[in-house]
Amino acid sequence: MILRYLKLWFSLAKFSLLGEMAFRGNFVVKIVVELLWLGMLLVFNFTIFQQTTQIADWKVNEYLFFIGCYFTMGGLMEMLFLDNCNQFSDLVRTGDLDFFLLKPIDEQFLVSCKHIDWSCAPNILLGLGVMGYAFWLGEWELDFFKAVLLVVLFISGMGLAYGFMLLLMSASIWMMRNQSLFEMWWLFTTLMRYPREIFKGRFAEPTQLFFSFVVPIMLVTNVPARVMVKGLESSWLPWYAIGSALVVLGVSRWVFRAALQRYRSAGS
Amino acid sequence: MPIIEANGLSKTYRVYQKKEGLLGALRGLFSREYKEVKAVEDVRFAIEAGEIVGFLGPNGAGKTTTLKMLAGLIYPTNGTAQVLDHIPWQREDAFRRRFALVMGQKNQLWWDLPAADSFQLHREIYSLPTEQFHRTLGELTELFGVKELTRQSVRELSLGERMKMELIAALLHQPQLLLLDEPTIGLDVVAQVTILKCLRDYNSNRGVTILLTSHYMRDVEALCKRVLVITQGRLVYDGPLTGITDRFGREKLVKLQFDGSECPANLETFGDVTSRQGPTAEIKVDRQRVAAVMAAILDRYTVLDVSIHDPPLEQMIAKVFEQGGVQSPGTPVPGLSPQ
Amino acid sequence: MGAIRKYLKILRISLVERLAYRADFFLTTFLRFLPLVTTFLLWEAIYTGSEKDEIAGFTRDKMIAYLLLVQISRMFSSMPGLSTGIARDIRDGNLKKYLLQPIDLLWYLLSYRGAHKIAYIATTALPYALLFFWFRDVFDLPGPWTWLAYFLSLVLAFLIGFFFEACIGIAGFWLLEVTSLMYIINIFTFFVSGQMFPLELLDQYPGAMEVLNALPFHYLAYFPAMVFLEKKQGDELILGLVIELAWAIALILVSRWMYRLGLRHYSAYGG
Repeated sequence: MILRYLKLWFSLAKFSLLGEMAFRGNFVVKIVVELLWLGMLLVFNFTIFQQTTQIADWKVNEYLFFIGCYFTMGGLMEMLFLDNCNQFSDLVRTGDLDFFLLKPIDEQFLVSCKHIDWSCAPNILLGLGVMGYAFWLGEWELDFFKAVLLVVLFISGMGLAYGFMLLLMSASIWMMRNQSLFEMWWLFTTLMRYPREIFKGRFAEPTQLFFSFVVPIMLVTNVPARVMVKGLESSWLPWYAIGSALVVLGVSRWVFRAALQRYRSAGS
Repeated sequence: MPIIEANGLSKTYRVYQKKEGLLGALRGLFSREYKEVKAVEDVRFAIEAGEIVGFLGPNGAGKTTTLKMLAGLIYPTNGTAQVLDHIPWQREDAFRRRFALVMGQKNQLWWDLPAADSFQLHREIYSLPTEQFHRTLGELTELFGVKELTRQSVRELSLGERMKMELIAALLHQPQLLLLDEPTIGLDVVAQVTILKCLRDYNSNRGVTILLTSHYMRDVEALCKRVLVITQGRLVYDGPLTGITDRFGREKLVKLQFDGSECPANLETFGDVTSRQGPTAEIKVDRQRVAAVMAAILDRYTVLDVSIHDPPLEQMIAKVFEQGGVQSPGTPVPGLSPQ
Repeated sequence: MGAIRKYLKILRISLVERLAYRADFFLTTFLRFLPLVTTFLLWEAIYTGSEKDEIAGFTRDKMIAYLLLVQISRMFSSMPGLSTGIARDIRDGNLKKYLLQPIDLLWYLLSYRGAHKIAYIATTALPYALLFFWFRDVFDLPGPWTWLAYFLSLVLAFLIGFFFEACIGIAGFWLLEVTSLMYIINIFTFFVSGQMFPLELLDQYPGAMEVLNALPFHYLAYFPAMVFLEKKQGDELILGLVIELAWAIALILVSRWMYRLGLRHYSAYGG
């Protein structure tokens, strides 16, 4: 079963790559855009750290690692799912979702994995590069257990982010809003772009707690990055992140299935 | 055991009534009004294995909605259906492996890649054994006569060729049931005829059951022995194609050729004159009066040739549609809703 | 009994529906302000971390004021979809419409955008007013002359933003793909217009300020904000406004020239 889906995923990836070859121009543009964006983040980061030695309690290398982590994760989400989920409302509007529902394949899998956006692959490399560079500068200790935990936390972070993306996407069936998921996602992921620790103050603190524990989008990048640079400070937070990832994945699947029942299959 | 069984299928849509203007849009944010639209109402029929059934009706009559409910794409508001022993809208994988839906207005092949690549993906999705896949693909490309075109990217194919590829993709997993929604829409006559021929051949070789909707009588006449007619969401006829004439055709078309170079002037007294050219004329006559009218004409004039026809089916169907849901008198048709 | 249950069900469905719409509305509004709020928090953390009163000449309050004010600048100067719209009209042949009717594409689009901007500003006025009221302590209200200069700089920022994007759109006569070019330019603008942070912060890199000041982009966000904060005064203010005006005129001329050239190119193709 899992093997079958894995095989199918590889073929989808292969065909996406074949399709992408037809538009090599986009590839170049995309890389330039991402390089610029990363460059700006780094310049900003570097400039700020000329003025201060730490942001909240993140030192320069630690913050650099955080940025790398965010960039890698963002890149992975974009490459694997964002384009697919973004197209979902179009599929619903035009009725082309029909084809996805007709296939003897899990609908959620097909909708969210149909197309792999290979032009985002360089992002992931860039992000990994920044993480590697920060790691080289930071000289944090890393043993086998921590490495495994990090990988697990990184994957559960991805799971969380994917679950939220699926929720936002499913909501579009109800809302029929014309605003793109792309924009909503970008705004929503503002919450995973910064360390939790900067949320200080009368209103920011409860907001932070809300988005860490009720709608745990903040844990996506914060938990793996924090464990890497600061070690295991909290004995339960990593487990909470993993557990909540499972819960969010379950809930989002349930909501997606409920949303499909509302599908009207437009067009004639 | 029928392959398709629909029992009182109904689908009601709630359509959001947009209010006009900026103020309306703002109000719509907080309160919305809906109108209920009955797309399909209490549709019942059964289709046996191996049949080819045509589904006729004007635009918006509910053909496609019914077809989509049978394919499990949308949930009915009321009623039940059994398709291939499954409830379609549960969309079990086992069910989805056994049928295919092809929509003439939509395209599911990968646009930028050759059809062969899309077929490969189909193989993966339906997990078809490689050997069986190649054999089926060979047979199908042979049948449709597109062996040389599978390596060409889909966007370069003509509309007819593309439709053939769509059908091949749909038949690759050897479905037992084929649902076709306007399969020949927009095609030229040649392409239309070849596709119809292929479908007929495939049906007689494989015994696949076909339910198709179409605007073109040519499709239905070429393929279907049995038709369902739906107007305004209700099934109004279920029976043989020829039966439509008996049921809805009240008139016959009488073609006459008179002796001489002109036909008589007072033909209007016999019926509706639909055409008059030199010595030939066509008169539409009420069915019950045909014998009497013929006798009267033959009595008065010298007629060289005479033939009596049913009006073209197309016109008849159009008439059925105009009558809408109004039930015309006649013997009740089995499977028709009792109302 | 059955009737009551039916109406209870209807009540529940419509309640859910309305709540969903409201939730969506408020979520969207909340999300819109999120990037701004997180930026404030980041700067709070930076000031706390640095233990300095001033960074690049900005106190903590002035930094927040600046970040709020660049939002206002961008409200005037950003033109979402303008260049891609023009490029699409060119590619799809919709351009003929403007050639056949007695209207000029650029002036038509300018008036359309202007009306659009006014409507947009009117509808977002309330949340922004609340936001500014919330942060009222960080502002010192400037005098009437500064207000006038501020307003002038915003109108010119609108013109510069419009005609710059129009130029990119008109480049669609020659370029196939303007959308991706616009992506790059948008990201670049975000940085060099001073929307991300005050440009003074870059003072530590020799030459950076000079280069940025020589470009028109800082008029899109940075300059109007600085005018309001009264950080540009006297001759510097006048000179700034004059150069801004010059940029606006230059871009108008360039866009008109490109448009005329493009039309010639277009008709040569028989489009």
